[in-house]
Amino acid sequence: MTAPKMGSKTDERRAFLLAAVIVLQAVTAVFFLADVVADLIHDGKLDDIHMWLELVATGALGGGVIFLMVELRRVMTRLATLDRSMRAAQGEMAEVIDVFFTEWGLTPAERDVALMVLKGIDNDTIASLRGTAPGTVRAQCTSVYSKAGVDGRAQLFSVFMEELLAVEG
Amino acid sequence: MRREAITETGGGADAPAPADRRSILVWDPLVRLVHWGVAGAVLLNATVIEEESSAHELIGYIAVGLVATRLVWGVIGTHHARFSAFPPNPVAALRHISGLIRGRRKVHLSHNPAGALMVYNLWATLIGMGVTGYMMGARAYFGMEWVEELHEGLFVWLMMSVGLHLAGVVVDSLVTRVNLVRGMVDGRKSVAAGEEAE
Repeated sequence: MTAPKMGSKTDERRAFLLAAVIVLQAVTAVFFLADVVADLIHDGKLDDIHMWLELVATGALGGGVIFLMVELRRVMTRLATLDRSMRAAQGEMAEVIDVFFTEWGLTPAERDVALMVLKGIDNDTIASLRGTAPGTVRAQCTSVYSKAGVDGRAQLFSVFMEELLAVEG
Repeated sequence: MRREAITETGGGADAPAPADRRSILVWDPLVRLVHWGVAGAVLLNATVIEEESSAHELIGYIAVGLVATRLVWGVIGTHHARFSAFPPNPVAALRHISGLIRGRRKVHLSHNPAGALMVYNLWATLIGMGVTGYMMGARAYFGMEWVEELHEGLFVWLMMSVGLHLAGVVVDSLVTRVNLVRGMVDGRKSVAAGEEAE
C-alpha cells in the first residue's frame, strides 16, 4: 500500500511543478507576442534583429509549453490509472470482506469489530471508539475468530491475504 | 460518443454516508492553476488595481496568457479538460438547468452542459477584454472611443457572468451533492457509490 501512495505523491508534486512552469512560460510567450505585434503595427517591418530575437523566443517558449503539456498529460494519465486500480481493489476487497463476514454469520457488532481489527486498530482503541469496555471487545474478537475458524488476528488477516493473492485457475 | 458520466437517481434517496462516496480525480493541476489565476487576475483588475496603470496591463497579459494556455490544453490536455468532454450544447444546457430546478441529480465528471456554456462565455469575454485592452494601449487605436466602450461593456458582461457562474456552482453543488468548489481546489469530485458510470 505504501509504494503506490508514495509514487502518487511524487507524481502529484511533479504535476504541479509542470503546470506552474507551463503557465509561467505561456504568459511570457503571450507578452513577447504582444510586443512583436505592437512593433509590427508601429513600423510594419520585420528586419530588426530585436524583432527576430523576440519571435524566436516566442516560438521557443511556445514549443516548450507544448512539450511540457505532453509530459503533464503523461503524468496525469499515470495518476488516474493508479487512482482507478486502487479504487477497484478497494471496492473488491470490501465486497470480499462482506461476503466472508456474512458467511461466518457475524452479528453487526462483531462485523464492526472485525473490520476495525482488519484495519489494524488495537483492542483498547476499538473499545473507546465503540464506547464499550475492552473486555467486551476481547469477547467479540474471540467470537469472531471462532466463527471464522482461525486462531487469532494474524490468521484472520491471512484469510483475506490468501483471497487477494489467489490466482484464478 | 459521450463518455463522461451521466447518471440519474431519484431525488428522494437519503444522502449517502461519506464512506459510500468515491473521490475521483477530475481536474489536473493546470486546470486548477488557470482557474484560480484567472479568478485572481479578474478580482485584482476589477477592484484594487488602478485603471490605465501598468499593473493593470500586466495583469491583463497574465489573464490572457492563462486563458490561451487553457485553450491549448483543451485540445491536447487530460480527458476531462478537453473540449470533447464538454462540447457547447445549448439544448443539453437547458435540459440540465430544468433538471436542476426539478431537483434531478445528474453528476458530470467534467463541466456540466450549463457550466460548459459558461466556461466558453467566460473565455471569449476574457479574450475580448484582453484584445480591446491591448488596442487601448496601442498607438494605432489610441484615443478611439469605441474600443474603450467595448472594453467597459465587456467588463459589465464579465461581472454578470461571474455572478451567474458562482450561483450555478452553488446550485449544482447543492442539488447533485457533489462539491464543485472542492473539485477546483484539490481536483477531486466526490461521487456517491453506484451513482456514476464512466
